[in-house]
Amino acid sequence: MQLKLQFGYGMMDHSRVLIDTWKGGSVILSPRDLSPVQLERLAGQITSLQGGDVLLDPQFYLPYADHERLTSHEYWPSAYSTEGFWSGSDIRGLLKKLVALNKTLGCKTLILPGLYTDQVDDDWIARQNAFMEEARALTDNPLYITVALAADAVKSDESIDELLAASEKWDVSGVYLLCEHPNGEYLVTDPSWLSNVLDLVAGLKLKGKKVLAGYCNHQMLSLAAAGVDWIASGTWMNVRSFPPDKFRAPYDDEIKQRSTWYYCPQGFSEYKVPFLDIAKKQGMLDKLAPPAELGSAHADVLFSGIQPTSARWTEQSAFRHYLHCLWSQAKSARRESFDQTVDEQERALDAAEDLLASLQAAGVKGQLRDFTTSLDVNRAALSVLRSSRGPILRRKWANL
Amino acid sequence: MTVLTWLPSFLPGISNLRGLLEGGQKWVFSATHSTDGEVVVKLIKPHTADERVQREILAVKEINSLRVPRIFEDGVLRGTPAGVDLIWLREQRIVGENVRQILQRGPLPQNEIVALCSHVLEALVDVEQARIVHRDIKPENIIRGADGSYWLIDFGIARHLDLSSLTATAALGGPGTLGYAPPEQYRNQKRDLDSRADLFALAVTLAECISGKHPYIEGARDAPMVCKRIEGAPLPIPKIPWDRERKFTDFLTAMGQRRVDCRPRDASDARTWMQEIQNAFAGRP
Repeated sequence: MQLKLQFGYGMMDHSRVLIDTWKGGSVILSPRDLSPVQLERLAGQITSLQGGDVLLDPQFYLPYADHERLTSHEYWPSAYSTEGFWSGSDIRGLLKKLVALNKTLGCKTLILPGLYTDQVDDDWIARQNAFMEEARALTDNPLYITVALAADAVKSDESIDELLAASEKWDVSGVYLLCEHPNGEYLVTDPSWLSNVLDLVAGLKLKGKKVLAGYCNHQMLSLAAAGVDWIASGTWMNVRSFPPDKFRAPYDDEIKQRSTWYYCPQGFSEYKVPFLDIAKKQGMLDKLAPPAELGSAHADVLFSGIQPTSARWTEQSAFRHYLHCLWSQAKSARRESFDQTVDEQERALDAAEDLLASLQAAGVKGQLRDFTTSLDVNRAALSVLRSSRGPILRRKWANL
Repeated sequence: MTVLTWLPSFLPGISNLRGLLEGGQKWVFSATHSTDGEVVVKLIKPHTADERVQREILAVKEINSLRVPRIFEDGVLRGTPAGVDLIWLREQRIVGENVRQILQRGPLPQNEIVALCSHVLEALVDVEQARIVHRDIKPENIIRGADGSYWLIDFGIARHLDLSSLTATAALGGPGTLGYAPPEQYRNQKRDLDSRADLFALAVTLAECISGKHPYIEGARDAPMVCKRIEGAPLPIPKIPWDRERKFTDFLTAMGQRRVDCRPRDASDARTWMQEIQNAFAGRP
């Protein structure tokens, strides 16, 4: 499993630095956050780095969206009406422009548009098929179809089954999967939601599709157990969980709340820096330090002996530390067998639970980003995956 | 005048005609044919759904399998003493017991389970190739021949996937036997029906053969309770002492999944899996 960068506000420099450090990697470009000129410029910079690669997310989840920067792109239809678009030549026009734009940007794989839906029904499936059929006639590049699901659709067993049945016939190499979190949660506390995401990923993989899960945070490291190929994540919370509302809002109404959070990878939790001061007072700061094998030096200053809040640890360092840790954790998440992968995840959850309990007892709180309430969510979802798909995943793991 | 009395004169080449059973829809006879040897002759009773019978015949004729009795000839008998035209067919006779009869003496041992599973899967691969779903896999419809090989019989409710269904789309239930049919079959979800329905029924049959008890029906008070059990919990698989590494258990677990998408992809995939298990039992890579 590998990490791709999900481009968001202010990520140009992070993208260049991280891809360079990692000696390779991909950025999923965001028309919502980049003007046409910026898209081209950044794509050129990334592809000129060793192993650098870009993908373009057309972000056509909500065609009626009036997000100013999104609609400023040439491929965005100037007027969208359901009937006209799907029955006329507009869909082909959109795809032609996207194919051309992908070529200009140097994308080797094309992410096709896909409509956001709260229910997988015949209409939605027909529209997805239309995107795929039209695109296949226009390019021989590998195609990934966007599957953008509302929280209700993810939670619906019927929707998941319909989607999997429909995907049997999809003539694409992969799926770009976007799953809205329930109730706007950052860390999901609904085990049924996560269980269905795991099931969906496993089902798609078993049908021979590549799966790129977009807008992820570290909770989605669990997708390794379902054989996911990549997760994508970024800096701000609106690129760490899929936010359909952010594609409706004008771009002025963007990042408002800015706090700097330290990610403790072994606890799967994030802390505001003042709580690291508490950890230091309680003699527990070293428990929060990232394991050396993850290779993140971005947070070294916090553990250099001085009071963490005096260390002037910047937002830039926080983001790079988060993404570097996630990149390392993603690389080692998938093991040689299905059982080893799940066992390792469960072991990591157990270890995190012990750590978090001792930190909380000492007053070191992660507040809304504390993973304690999600530990059992991940456990339950993994348990369901083992029961429902375990035998087949066990058998097919090497070829997944 | 009984059927046995007048039937031979309508079927040239037939001798030694003997009644085997009489069901609600057909008479079944054993006989000897001058060129085909030991055969079964089925005569469909009047007013039975002709189209369904004809489709069964069509379905089985399209199957080219060493594990499914061949239909040698079929047709319509006209001018019979019954006063109506009667559909008939002559098929290969498998001399042996059906698995229900065998189970009356106790659960099956390892070698029989493995043979049953392997042979029925071979049949299902051939059935699948002909675009047919059997829809009625159960102990009664599996015969063990005198040489120990297992055969799949009775395609009375088989469905050809390229033909329109005979069951109304709005019907609450589809054809099948309670306790063996998977949810997508008994809930008449036609779009989801394919060979994986037969894999589910085979998994239930195997679980029953291993323990001697039906995993869903045993102790259930009525049909709704059976369905609730099927949909409410994974297939209960008995502990299998000869399956120490749980490879066969895993395989049954997969085939017996309530959700279609969680089962092996198709009968071919299931057969390959079973071959891998047999190789493992034999110590082969």
